[in-house]
Amino acid sequence: MSSHQFNFPVLKQRAVIVQAIRDFFRRSGFWEAETPQLVPLPSMEPYLEVFETQLLDQNRQPTRAFLISSPEYAMKQMLAAGSGNIFQITKSFRNAEGVSPRHNPEFSILEWYRVGADYLQIMDDCEQLLKSIAKTIHPDQQPILEYQGEIYNLTEPWERITVSQAFKKYAQIDQKILLTTPKLLAASKERGYQVNEQTTWEEVYNQIFLNEIEPNLGKTKPTIIYEYPVSQAALSKKKKSDPRFAERFEFYINGLELGNAFSELTDWQEQLNRLKEDQQEKAKTGRTLFDIDYNFINALKSGLPECAGIAVGVDRLVMLFTDQPSIQETLAFPATHLWPELIK
Amino acid sequence: MSTVNGGNVRKGMFVLHHNEPHQVISHEFVSPGKGSAFTRVKLRNVLTSKMMDFTYKTTEQVELAEVETRELQYIYQEGNNFVFMNPRTYDQVEVSGEVMGSDRNFLKEEMTCHVQFYNDQPIGIFLPKKVTLEVTEAEEAVAGDRVTAPKKQAKLETGATIAVPIFVKTGDKVVIDTSTGEYVSRNN
Repeated sequence: MSSHQFNFPVLKQRAVIVQAIRDFFRRSGFWEAETPQLVPLPSMEPYLEVFETQLLDQNRQPTRAFLISSPEYAMKQMLAAGSGNIFQITKSFRNAEGVSPRHNPEFSILEWYRVGADYLQIMDDCEQLLKSIAKTIHPDQQPILEYQGEIYNLTEPWERITVSQAFKKYAQIDQKILLTTPKLLAASKERGYQVNEQTTWEEVYNQIFLNEIEPNLGKTKPTIIYEYPVSQAALSKKKKSDPRFAERFEFYINGLELGNAFSELTDWQEQLNRLKEDQQEKAKTGRTLFDIDYNFINALKSGLPECAGIAVGVDRLVMLFTDQPSIQETLAFPATHLWPELIK
Repeated sequence: MSTVNGGNVRKGMFVLHHNEPHQVISHEFVSPGKGSAFTRVKLRNVLTSKMMDFTYKTTEQVELAEVETRELQYIYQEGNNFVFMNPRTYDQVEVSGEVMGSDRNFLKEEMTCHVQFYNDQPIGIFLPKKVTLEVTEAEEAVAGDRVTAPKKQAKLETGATIAVPIFVKTGDKVVIDTSTGEYVSRNN
């Protein structure tokens, strides 16, 4: 390894931020669960690739083992068994996503689950959490974030906009077009995107979202974008008043997605069906295949309480609060240093 | 017209975007919460130098700009432009400071470079992978520095400053890897 410059001021600030997160949740009535990073079956996220390894017994007979892509299944098993409100900061791993200013194969994830709550209460938690981090760093200032020369006001209420409203506002696409496949494909083609007979609704929805909507989110204060078309929310509940949409939200600062939240799906049969579909999708796209985690399904069967939860990228939060251009700068040993050939 | 899969668009490539040639400045994998994969790129319009962001579906076909590469010799700098010459035809070509970028740090007269053209306009450059340059100014290394700073700063004949091992002295010739801008070895 060549001589390595540690950016100790940033690394120390990282430690302060992580501690501020833990303090916030303890004060808010959560306890920190600790779940494994090495598991026999990881989450069935159809578009994520996993890290696989082998667990050897005393006779060196191998068993498949994986690194988690999120601690969600384990935490939900604890919730079903009556843990109450829990949070966790842990390492998670995602393969085949490359190394970039926003991605590192190993990253720190913050998840929390609130029992008896829905996604609206998680929105409030997000507002309070970021305000609390800002207050820890600058106790005598208004809760603001200064990032790369811009100032973001973290005081609640943040901007809240539904996915339908955002498509209308930023891409002039109204809900009827958004939810009708041929109409959205035509609208996308008209806007200059490549569309052919293989193009799916999901692809054009996301391409318009990424190109025309995302850059507008979180401009002067954080934006919460919520109520996703139901196909875009694998683990969330449908909205009772309009089942075409799911109770999911994401929050953004400066066009950067920081967290993804749901009113959690509690119906085990529905969950099992979705996992089977996701497994099919993994097979179709040539990703590593593994079995459905029936411990997770059985936990839902035994009764997952009504709850809502969220996953937040800790490295991204640290990047913002330490005013660094890339998450690599917030890590003592970023992948760009460990595998310099990856970025050539 | 040659194309590349949206999932294989990479930094350094030249692509056609809305029929204009753009260089890919950076690329990044994006996978929204639930959704297929996308490639987010930063593009620089090589005709106007305008920067933009775009996100490709990994499944779409991206047209590549047809770029021609010529071997040219650097002769001198004129203002913000760098003048190159074709050693066979003696034709001269000016490469803008924008296209040259940080490569100028290691550019020396009579160096042979690969210059990329689109419609006869220079849009990119590759220096030789390794170049040898003279050190014109090296700090004196102080005993005891070894623990905290195994490297020191040295100024090269091109004016650029790089980190070198403490044994390198003024007047030494050092080999630089131009793709990383880092010291490789001493070559006296």
